[in-house]
Amino acid sequence: MTKEIRMTRRRLIMVPFFFFMTLVISGTSIAGGPTDDVRKTTDKLIAIVSDPSMKSADRAAERARRIRKAVDERFDWREMSKRTLARYWKKRTDQEKEEFIDLFGKLLERTYLDKVEGYSGEKVLYVAEKIDGNYGIVVVKIVTKKDTEIQVKYKLKKKGGEWLVYDISIEGVSLINNYRKQFNSIITRSSYEDLIKKLREKVEGE
Amino acid sequence: MGVSIRVLFFLLCCSNILAPFCFAEKTQTWSGHVEGETFLLVTEVESHELVRMSYAERQRAEPGPAVGHSSNPKICRVKNSQEVSGASDPWEDEAEEIDSISDPLEPMNRAFFQFNDKLYFWVLKPVATGYNTVVPQLARVCIRNFFSNLVMPIRAVSCLLQGKFEGLGIELVRFVVNTSAGFLGFQDVAKQALNFPVQDEDLGQVFAFYGIGPGFYLDLPFLGPYSLRSAVGWGGGLFVNPLNYMVDFWPNVGIRTFDIVNNTSLRIGDYEAMKEAALDPYVAMRDAYYQYRLNLIEK
Repeated sequence: MTKEIRMTRRRLIMVPFFFFMTLVISGTSIAGGPTDDVRKTTDKLIAIVSDPSMKSADRAAERARRIRKAVDERFDWREMSKRTLARYWKKRTDQEKEEFIDLFGKLLERTYLDKVEGYSGEKVLYVAEKIDGNYGIVVVKIVTKKDTEIQVKYKLKKKGGEWLVYDISIEGVSLINNYRKQFNSIITRSSYEDLIKKLREKVEGE
Repeated sequence: MGVSIRVLFFLLCCSNILAPFCFAEKTQTWSGHVEGETFLLVTEVESHELVRMSYAERQRAEPGPAVGHSSNPKICRVKNSQEVSGASDPWEDEAEEIDSISDPLEPMNRAFFQFNDKLYFWVLKPVATGYNTVVPQLARVCIRNFFSNLVMPIRAVSCLLQGKFEGLGIELVRFVVNTSAGFLGFQDVAKQALNFPVQDEDLGQVFAFYGIGPGFYLDLPFLGPYSLRSAVGWGGGLFVNPLNYMVDFWPNVGIRTFDIVNNTSLRIGDYEAMKEAALDPYVAMRDAYYQYRLNLIEK
């Protein structure tokens, strides 16, 4: 094969590549990347939490409801449940799966809610974004008033044009990994039923 | 000086226990069944090793069908979990890892976990809360900065031993700038003005850098979660800590306690939140520690 033919071939390969690249670039800018989606939800949450009319005690329920709604829109509870139960997920019936998603979602929601409720003017910086097909990572830095920086990494999956969060890592500690190990430990020690019992106690505890 | 002798003794004691664990086999292979289909799962017990081992090296080190991006969906990737589906996730290896630090002393650790838990709620938290109300937050942040500046040698030496010369430079500049312009380190001007952040390096990370495994998990009374490796690193750090050469044993303990109370006062609520969110706080803590360290080592 002469050099010339090789060159032409390489160029021919490059044409669809560039075409594809332009599509990718324009596609992301139109649809909005994962960072935009995370930012949208974060801004919404900050707006709710810092809204002075929402601060009074009698509106606490309304406030929690609105935070919950904003979080619900962005979090993929099913994906999270699936990843947390890992090998035990497949053994569950559809009904059991729904029950688990409900309970685990509530637990996560409450954990996240507590974090959001504690917001007091921390700065949120969007540091990095990585996209690979339908999966994305958004890295956020939270600068607290105590002058510490907390790195938060969101993992997202694209579903129907929206990027949905399926894992959050705080300073490298993945929430889903952490729960997976706890649940695994409980299931291997006793049973799945015991896990559900404990989960229910935790969620309905307060 | 007293501390140094104690630590030396501790290290000597440890070196006997250390050998079999730290230089143990680095990889472990097992096979299992998922819904009737056999798959082979190769996992890195010492997953920090992955950081330094290039992908190609891994393929050489672990031959077999389970290595790398296999096209067969039934075969999991290195470090993957048992979940077979969703193989298209490019970050699945991160998200699905099941490896964890070994915990042969779990009953003892659980007992010490309970001890530390009570220590926190009955002693440390009330003291820190009281301290909180007396000392304004700005002052507490300054005190934290002061102690952080004081233990610069530990971070600098750790950077040096890992060949992180940029980090070493940052630490040295930080020390000079913060000690002078930052009033003995009370102000972190290096970060504010020069954007030189503190380098989170310690001797435990140095050991990891040289391929020493984490050993096993320890939940030590008063000290909290450690891997054997970082506990030894912590002990070694005492030698590099200038505080040891400046004051005697008991004043040293007093200063350290003050440092702990000060730090706790800035973090009240974190432990409670962790415990509140967890179904098994001990396992949650162990895994959070493991993941946190892994993240530091990878940096």
